[in-house]
Amino acid sequence: MDKLIVEATRSSPAIAFDAETRQLRICGESYPENAAAFYAPVFAWLKAFIAGLEPAATVEIDLEILYLNSSSTKIMLNLLDVLEQAAQDGLQIIVNWRYDPDNESMLECGQDFSEELEALTFNLVEHPAP
Amino acid sequence: MKDFDLVRLKDELGERGILMIFSGPFSHSIIEELGKAVRNHLENASLSRTAMMDVFAVYVEQAQNVRNYLERWQDAPEGERFAHSGIVVIARDRERYVISSGNLMAQADAAPLVARLEQLRALDKAALKALHKERLRQPLSDAGGAGLGLIEMARKAAIPLQYALTTVDEYVFFTLRVVL
Repeated sequence: MDKLIVEATRSSPAIAFDAETRQLRICGESYPENAAAFYAPVFAWLKAFIAGLEPAATVEIDLEILYLNSSSTKIMLNLLDVLEQAAQDGLQIIVNWRYDPDNESMLECGQDFSEELEALTFNLVEHPAP
Repeated sequence: MKDFDLVRLKDELGERGILMIFSGPFSHSIIEELGKAVRNHLENASLSRTAMMDVFAVYVEQAQNVRNYLERWQDAPEGERFAHSGIVVIARDRERYVISSGNLMAQADAAPLVARLEQLRALDKAALKALHKERLRQPLSDAGGAGLGLIEMARKAAIPLQYALTTVDEYVFFTLRVVL
């Protein structure tokens, strides 16, 4: 399976999904013109990736988000729901929500998300500002 | 030149504490560029990162709301007039930042928006958080975040969201004011 690599723009995050190492990363700010269109290939890749994994495989995703607008917030939760379903189906899913401690909004956002998720491991990780 | 007195205009912007104003047709790249300018300005004002990102977030939500709404009028006979009606203003009022926006709107669109704002105005922070949690689960609509943006602004705001409606011909000019 090919890697999914998307370069960051001012209003959309960098995406680096590697099927071989099972390391996924989304990093940056998200307020694209059309959030649904921007994230459509991310969902497609993720679903195909999960479908091809062995049972009980471990997947780690790093989310290092500096800003999410409201539509990106909804989509990020949908993305986490896909991973939550995979965890319920037996995969070991680890989400590292890396937040800048100087930016309380992103800590709150991570806390809001963690309340919505049960089967996957959701870590809130302090991450110094770049 | 009497009708085009930039000194007076600048004085008035200064008196009103206006840091940034954009009036005219919005594009996504304009929203990005102005957002960058706002953040540069606030970084120089040595604001905390949380406060700076709250101003930026409320600015982006408002600018994208204006743009998304006006885009629906693109092909209408009055499309040009609507496209030029958008405005976003960031001002400083003593220790507060005030982000306002406005645009022309059909009367029929104003009523449900006012109902939503009145609902939010009546809620405290805990109730806003609960509503946010509920709305987070609703599907994304064509119009955007299904009101999630308004709830997020209300959660960040120091006082309830303020709005005004001004009749313009057969339309209304809708203004939203968020105090942080």
